[in-house]
Order: sequence, then structure tokens, then C-alpha cells
Amino acid sequence: MTTVLGWLAGLGLVAGLVMGFGVAPREVTQGNVQRIMYVHVPAVWVAYLAFGVGFVASLVYLARRRPGADRLAHAACEVGTLFLGVNIATGAIWGKPTWGTWWTWDARLTSVAVVFVMFLAYLLLRGAIDDHERGARYAAVLGIVASLNIPLVHFSVYWWRTLHQPPSLLKPGSSTMPPVILIALLVNFVALALLGAYFVARRARVLAAEEEALA
Amino acid sequence: MADNWGYVAVAYAVAVVVLGGYWRRLIRRERELAILNAGVRNDGMSRSQQPSETAHPRSEPGKRHSLP
Amino acid sequence: MAWKDLVIERRSKETLNALLFFSLALLFVFQFALGPDRERLASVLPGLLWLGFILSGVLGLGRAFLVERENDCWEALLLAPGDKSAIYLGKLAGSLMLMAVVETLVLALFVVFFDVDLSHALPGLALVIGLGTVGIAAVGTLFAAMTAQVRARELLFPVLLLPVLVPVLLGTVKATEALLLREPLAAVAHWLKLLAAADVVYLAVGLLTFDVILEG
Repeated sequence: MTTVLGWLAGLGLVAGLVMGFGVAPREVTQGNVQRIMYVHVPAVWVAYLAFGVGFVASLVYLARRRPGADRLAHAACEVGTLFLGVNIATGAIWGKPTWGTWWTWDARLTSVAVVFVMFLAYLLLRGAIDDHERGARYAAVLGIVASLNIPLVHFSVYWWRTLHQPPSLLKPGSSTMPPVILIALLVNFVALALLGAYFVARRARVLAAEEEALA
Repeated sequence: MADNWGYVAVAYAVAVVVLGGYWRRLIRRERELAILNAGVRNDGMSRSQQPSETAHPRSEPGKRHSLP
Repeated sequence: MAWKDLVIERRSKETLNALLFFSLALLFVFQFALGPDRERLASVLPGLLWLGFILSGVLGLGRAFLVERENDCWEALLLAPGDKSAIYLGKLAGSLMLMAVVETLVLALFVVFFDVDLSHALPGLALVIGLGTVGIAAVGTLFAAMTAQVRARELLFPVLLLPVLVPVLLGTVKATEALLLREPLAAVAHWLKLLAAADVVYLAVGLLTFDVILEG
């Protein structure tokens, strides 16, 4: 099963690259540097998908105490943090030629940075507890707090950045994107999601093997 | 506007290095643990050998580790 | 039992004194770091105020379970019969009172040292400070219990708490800023709702998961 996932991910990545560099056109305003978007944007979608999985797995663990749920939560949050890191890094590299700066405290960057640090702290907690069962319990609670905090972070940061205006509930709609760009984004998203799922599966397997080794 | 292909290359390179590096780490860790666990399972008799987590995994003669 | 209460009372006074001196020290540092520019000081005042509140909170909350830890009473907590959520509420109430005292005094110090006029904004400020403090204490008490028995707890506690508190920090600072600029309470309604929502979430999670933390 994991192997299949891995191969599918590989195929997906190839397809994604073809779409991103072959099929998608040169963007009108930014030029070809915009192609960074094809890895940058899907990465954050995959990250949040992973955190969502981690959230549910944490809930399941607290309710049922199944070790598999704990391993899934751990793996998902770790992979989510990984992809979020890729998102931040590629975003900075995109920002330098586009905005002239590596970093800016705009709404999206800031909220992503906060979520990233929250889940880094989650991984730190995991590492700091030796007792396996206690670590699983505490991490599940922290995972739930962190996941529930994500919308709070998003709203607070977004309102912080739009001063003196009555806030709309969600971010304003993105500018109209040519369909081919949207399709390229989606293809890359599927590819990275498959890769993420493959990573989560393998990471969970490693966790199971580690437990066996320590038993 | 200039195309900045250099930045595109760096961005994708970063992604490849990070994601690829994580993948390699997973594979390596799985390999180490497989050897460790197999060794522990087979070491029913000889308790004197205490495989520790940091011990360099010894290759078992006659064992082939097929990786997915 | 009485001896434990005595220890707790003495410890609280210790903590209170330490936090007050800490806030005073922060005040001096802010003044020296920002220099005599009154306008710049006025513009960053809300941020400084909440920086002071949150840092004091982190220090104070980090000690929430100190008594149990130092006197080997942790097992007593774990074995206590009944709903562990009561312990959570008790600790929370204690922390809230402590923070309320510190915050009131820090606010007074700010008024004196930075020559701020709060009279027009006091009721609104009280609301914002109340909502913010409940949020800080709600998560802080939960995380304090979590890190009490963990390696490197003094480091891990702020590392866990501060990122989670970003929405509360943003909400309180922006609301305080608006109120000090004499904006009506209605103008900060969305921040108040955010803070209230955060409080509800944190309290709910705290109440529901505290026994999980205290399982061992």
C-alpha cells in the first residue's frame, strides 16, 4: 500500500513539473518567477490537510487510546510542519525578486509563520517526554489546542493587517486566474498530497518500529 | 520584468533538498530499525549482545533486506 | 493541610512580589530602550503594556504547579478523587487573581511613569484586559500542568504558550490601541468577539482535557 502511494506520488510529481513548466504559460505580470507558485501554494494546502488529519487523529487517540492514532497524529503533524517549512522557504525566495524583500509581515505570511512555530513546539514537546504513553496524551491535547487555534490565528492576523475596516468574514477572493494555471496548481497539489500521504505512512511505520525496538 | 530563473531554480532546489532529505532519513531510519528489531528477535539465546539504539547495525549473514 | 496552605500563601506572596519587581524592571527597560521620544512611546504603549502582561503571565503561570512539584505532591493530584476539572478551575482562579493584581499595578505604573490618561477608556480597557487575561490563564494553566513533569520545563512552557497566544496578543493590543485613541467600544467589537471566542475555546479544551493531563 505504501509502495503504491510512493509510486503514485512520483508520477504525480512528474505530472506536476510538466504542468508547471511545460503547460502553464509565462505569467503576464511577474514573468517566469511566478512558477515558484506551483510548489509554494500546494505545499501550504498539503500542510493544512496534514494538520487536519493530525487534529482528528489526536481526538481519536484521546477518545479511544489507540496507539495507531497516536502514531498517525505524530506523523501527520511532523509532515505538515515539513511542508509548511517548504512553503515559507519557497515563499521567501519568490518574494525577493517579486516584492524586493525576503519577508514581510503581511497577513498570509504572518499567520503561516505562527502556525509553523506552534507545530514546531508540538514536535519539541514530543521530543521532551520520555514516557511514551504520557507523550502521546500530552501531544494529543497540544495538537487539539494548536489545530483549534489555527482559525483564531488567521482571523486575528488578517484583521490586524486590514486596519480600520469592518472585516469581511473570509479573505477577499483572489484575482481571477486563468484556468490553466488553476489546473496546474491542482495537479501539483494532488502530487504533493500523495507525497505527503506517502511520508505520513512511512513515518508512522518508523514510529511503530521504534516502539518495537524499545519494547 | 526579468524572468529570474535563478530564483525559480533555487526555490525548487530547496523543495527537493528538504523533501528528498526527509525521505532519505525515513528510509535510513526504517532500515536501521528493521535490522535492530530482527536482531533482537533472533537474539533469544545470546543475551550478552545488547543492541543499543546508537549501535552501528551489523549486517546479518544470509539476510536480505528488501525495501519497498 | 494547613502547612500546605501556608506554603501556598507564602509562595503566592513571593510570586506576586517577584512579578511586580519584574514589571517594574520591564518598565525601566522599555523607557531606556525607547528613549525620550514621547510620541513613539505613545504609539507603542499598548504593545508594551501587553508585553508586560504576557511576560508576567508566563512567569507567574509557569509556577502554577510549583508547589505540587517541589513537595512531591504530584501523585496526590493524580490520585485525587472526583472531577479533575475542579483542580483546573481552582488553579485558573488563583492565577487569574494573581494576574489581576499584577495587571492593575502595572497599569497604574504605566499611567504614572509614561504619563498616560486612561480615564476615558477605563471600562472598555477593563473588558479587554479581562477577556485577554482569561485567555492567557486558561491556556497557561493547561500548559503549566503539561510541562510540570517534563524535561526542560522552564524552556518548554513559554515556547508552547507564546505562539498559541498570538491571537490573544493581537486582539488585546489592537483593541487597547483603539480604546486609547478614544474610539468607541463598538469599533473594537470584532476584537472583543475574537477574544471571547478564544476564551471559550481555551476554557472548553482545558476543562475537557485536564483529567487527561493528570492521568500520569
